[in-house]
Amino acid sequence: MSTQQVFALKQSEEYKQAQFTFVISIALMVIFLFNVYDFSEDTWSMGWGIFSLAYLLISVLQGIITYCIKRDLLTEGTIQKRSRILGAIQLPSILVGNVFSTAFAFRMLRRKPSIEYTLSYFMLIAQFLIVGVSLFNVFKPYVSDKFMMTMTVLTLFLIMDIVLVLYFNRNDVVHQKNNKLKWLGIALFLRGVTGNLFGFILGYSLLVKSTNRDASAVDKWNKLWNKITRNFTAMLGLLFVIFTFAISVASIGTFVYSFASENNYEAMLLEPSLMHPFGTDNFGRDVFSRIIYGARISLIVGVVTTIIPFVIGGGLGAVAGYFSKSLDNVIMRILDVLYAIPGILLAIAIIAAFGSSTTNLIIALSVGSIPTYARTMRANVMMVSNLEYVEAAKALGESEWKILFQHVVPNSLAPMIVKATFTIGGAIIATSSLSFLGLGVEPHVPEWGNVLRVGSEYLETHPYLAIFPGIAIILLVLSFNFFGDGLRDSLDPKMD
Amino acid sequence: MKKRIVLLMAFIALVLAGCLNTESDVKEDDSSTDSTSETAEDKGTGTASAPTIEILGMSTSEDDLNILRDQLTKNGFNVELNIQPDYGSFTSQKEAGNYDLALNSWTTVTGNPDYAVRSLFTSDGDNSLFADEKADELVNKASTQLQDEYTETYKELEQHVVFDQAYIVPLYVSYKAQAVNHEVIDESTVRLPKSRAAVWEDYDFVDESKRDSEPLILQQAIGALTSLDPIKGNDGSINTLNTNMYVRLVNLTDDDQVVSDGSLSLNHAIAEGNEDYYFLLRDDINFAAVEDMEAVDTGERVGAEDVVFSLERAKDKDSVPDHRTYSLHESMKEISIVSDLSELDTAATDGGTVREKLEEGIDNEITELVTDKTQVDNESGVYQVVKVTTENPFPQVLNYLAHQSAGIVSKDQVESINTYDVEDYDVNTDIAYGDQRTVTEGNSYDNTLYASGPYIMTHKNDYEAHFVKNPAYMPGTEKEPKISEVIVKFIQDPDSALSALRNGEIHILNGVPETKYDIVEEDDKLTLQQNESNGVSYLAFNMDNREVSSSVPLRQAVLYSVNQEEIISFYQGNKMNAVSTVTPLVDTGLSLEADSEKVKELLSEYDGN
Repeated sequence: MSTQQVFALKQSEEYKQAQFTFVISIALMVIFLFNVYDFSEDTWSMGWGIFSLAYLLISVLQGIITYCIKRDLLTEGTIQKRSRILGAIQLPSILVGNVFSTAFAFRMLRRKPSIEYTLSYFMLIAQFLIVGVSLFNVFKPYVSDKFMMTMTVLTLFLIMDIVLVLYFNRNDVVHQKNNKLKWLGIALFLRGVTGNLFGFILGYSLLVKSTNRDASAVDKWNKLWNKITRNFTAMLGLLFVIFTFAISVASIGTFVYSFASENNYEAMLLEPSLMHPFGTDNFGRDVFSRIIYGARISLIVGVVTTIIPFVIGGGLGAVAGYFSKSLDNVIMRILDVLYAIPGILLAIAIIAAFGSSTTNLIIALSVGSIPTYARTMRANVMMVSNLEYVEAAKALGESEWKILFQHVVPNSLAPMIVKATFTIGGAIIATSSLSFLGLGVEPHVPEWGNVLRVGSEYLETHPYLAIFPGIAIILLVLSFNFFGDGLRDSLDPKMD
Repeated sequence: MKKRIVLLMAFIALVLAGCLNTESDVKEDDSSTDSTSETAEDKGTGTASAPTIEILGMSTSEDDLNILRDQLTKNGFNVELNIQPDYGSFTSQKEAGNYDLALNSWTTVTGNPDYAVRSLFTSDGDNSLFADEKADELVNKASTQLQDEYTETYKELEQHVVFDQAYIVPLYVSYKAQAVNHEVIDESTVRLPKSRAAVWEDYDFVDESKRDSEPLILQQAIGALTSLDPIKGNDGSINTLNTNMYVRLVNLTDDDQVVSDGSLSLNHAIAEGNEDYYFLLRDDINFAAVEDMEAVDTGERVGAEDVVFSLERAKDKDSVPDHRTYSLHESMKEISIVSDLSELDTAATDGGTVREKLEEGIDNEITELVTDKTQVDNESGVYQVVKVTTENPFPQVLNYLAHQSAGIVSKDQVESINTYDVEDYDVNTDIAYGDQRTVTEGNSYDNTLYASGPYIMTHKNDYEAHFVKNPAYMPGTEKEPKISEVIVKFIQDPDSALSALRNGEIHILNGVPETKYDIVEEDDKLTLQQNESNGVSYLAFNMDNREVSSSVPLRQAVLYSVNQEEIISFYQGNKMNAVSTVTPLVDTGLSLEADSEKVKELLSEYDGN
């Protein structure tokens, strides 16, 4: 292999994604295959068998596609149209839930991906998953009153997303005033409210580009999202985070809360089935519904316990870093005292003193992480406040507070945002751990830690009760970490 | 094309809408056919206000609390749970009165119905739940009656306490379950009595050669021991331990019959009139003491003087500080040593004389009675007889004498240790007999225990307690302890305890959780033993300054909201229906049925007031 060929392989994002998809599809297939045969009962499972076959097919196809891409790159230097069309065969794999190969297939369909195209096909995948997961409610004895209406709206959005993908596949969005795109942007922006935050980002992107803004803002936006959208794992992380958020919003209309909270003594400890995809727990509550409702609490607690120390810690850190040394000392030494107490211990102490409720849980988890945010902010503010434009502002006689919050803080936020994405994951784990210990929210509330705790008692006889909430926690935390990684890479000035 | 898609979509939507039931459809159906299953929201719009009920419980009974929350919510209550992590914080919440309903459990360890009601339902009981004159009267009336008569009295009591006044809400009667590792322990030697604690002296290894080389390892949940003085504690932390450290005048069989087997008495008899009780003592038990972590025979016989001393202090409220069991023994008027042989010629309850009863099945007839225990010699017919006289005719006194709090301690040893003044007792400076500090490893260790039972504790720490066999406990008889050393591990969490049993860390687990029976049964090396128990779970209302304290309809509404069948099905049938704490002992024929209609009526009656 010549250096040129090696370079072509190394440079090709498609080739890397193809390999990644191939490996992960095989791994999933092996897991499913392992479940096909029940060793203790000596039986074969039909459902797992179908899944394994589907994933086997996907893996084989993916292997062929990967080989084609490699051959193209080695012989021609670029991927040929034939291989790209072959890649499109993987599109239906979303039907068995393989988001990796679907995302890859969409990626293959455009030679040079634009931010808008990538965002739109991830939006489509997320929407498809929302509709698919919500559809499981059809197998329940009854559905919520708003089910039909919500499903219609969700399906309309799905159709809209297909149209958008088709549009952005053909057209690039360039920076110029464009009224049609502006209105599309506003529509998508509003659509973000329904939970699919890809719409939010996409809409904002269109608005930035179609209204007359200064070129540097557009450039900054493009740079940031170009990096993130090219980072396959970061996008997958974002996909799951947004899916979790969106399904929490959609569940208001599609899921029935009583399945998740009310005891049903006729349906205790049932095995997974279409009616109860994740089985039922020892009180006959549907674990699937409990996990969906639990996502809401986990996300709310995770996000709020990140925002509170972000604002308080960030504010204190900015003040400490910008103003006099003595003020700095007072603030930081007090925070050092707080920092000396282990976070989870502090949380346990607060909850033991004030009782367990969601509000107390949020306060307990927030207080502990104030010092770390203050430290990060202080360091950034100290660095930024020595830059020339701050001196210039001082020379112009601007007030100290205005300089701090208009010039210094906005330019110190990047590391804070990256830190925040990582701590959300930590906060979700902390919430679940406290509930697992019986210290978080009340035991009947569907929260992932609570669901996992019930499962842990039946690890031997009904392992799925613990496996599914466990996977949910792992996936959400992992997703936040992947996304945080991508965000850090794209915000880090050294990576330019 | 687009038109077609829209049409297709509309069609699919229509078809789907046709076959799907929505929540409100189902609710309507329900309310037309059976109006009991209305949800709390429906209720909220119907009646004016949903009463708020605060339930206090411990985290170990979280499952029960969850079921109760669910059932009460479905019947139109607002439920708040107050879950405390341990017994200490539970008790302090209870004392502070921060509850409407407290989830309690009661085990009648003496196996007689009087104990099951006296402590809870009388105004001056040691765990009194409420003050009610009629209840007091009924409890006292029943105590003087024999089995055939008291059933009707207890029925009347249940009707009054549970149904008419709704002071308590019964939940269920539990089974007892014990798992034995039959690869190590000979399971036929392991009994699971209904009321009495484990009988260690019977236990034996499969491989009998290991009796002296291997310890028997058991488990109990609580490691902080209340007191090793039998009268100073009556709870799970010492019940089993004291039962095996102190011998009693009588014992309970596995199904709660009072017998002399394995006790200090060779035989016992009731004189006509049910007021005088005679016990013929055996002479082959000496007190054991601990020297250098080994049990030694003190040479001091367990005799009638010790019995009199032990029972006198058991019934005297002021004999020790923190006396926790005097109410069990208050029925005794006098305990004496019989010196006159002719006194035994009085008639016994069921024919014959007391003497005939006492001599039944023993090798050497009574030729002489002595008051000094050193002169006893059963071989030559020299015996000691103790007579217990009760205030009123009270046959159930024998059950109380079988309780661990009636364990026999050494008169000389206890008097030499308890030299402090009871009124000025200071827990920090005065060390009472049986204080757990004296057996805990460390500087305060000073083991002064004198054990009259089969085993004696040598030392303990936070993780385990060590016992060794009393070398002078009925040697040569079948009641001589078989295994030389017993270790009791303190494992609080039942799941961890079960794991410990399964990996061989402990040999016997008393109290297998209901949901884990399958696991034990599937394990090849374990045997599951099951027996009915006297343990009853119930909810007690806060009778002090609460809404529920003053409103009978509100209490009854809660009572009829609780569905025992659902709780039993949650426990996979491993619980039994309960009406009150006497349910496992007396079948009164009453039962509690959940009734949502009645709850509605009672709630509107409550609203009307």
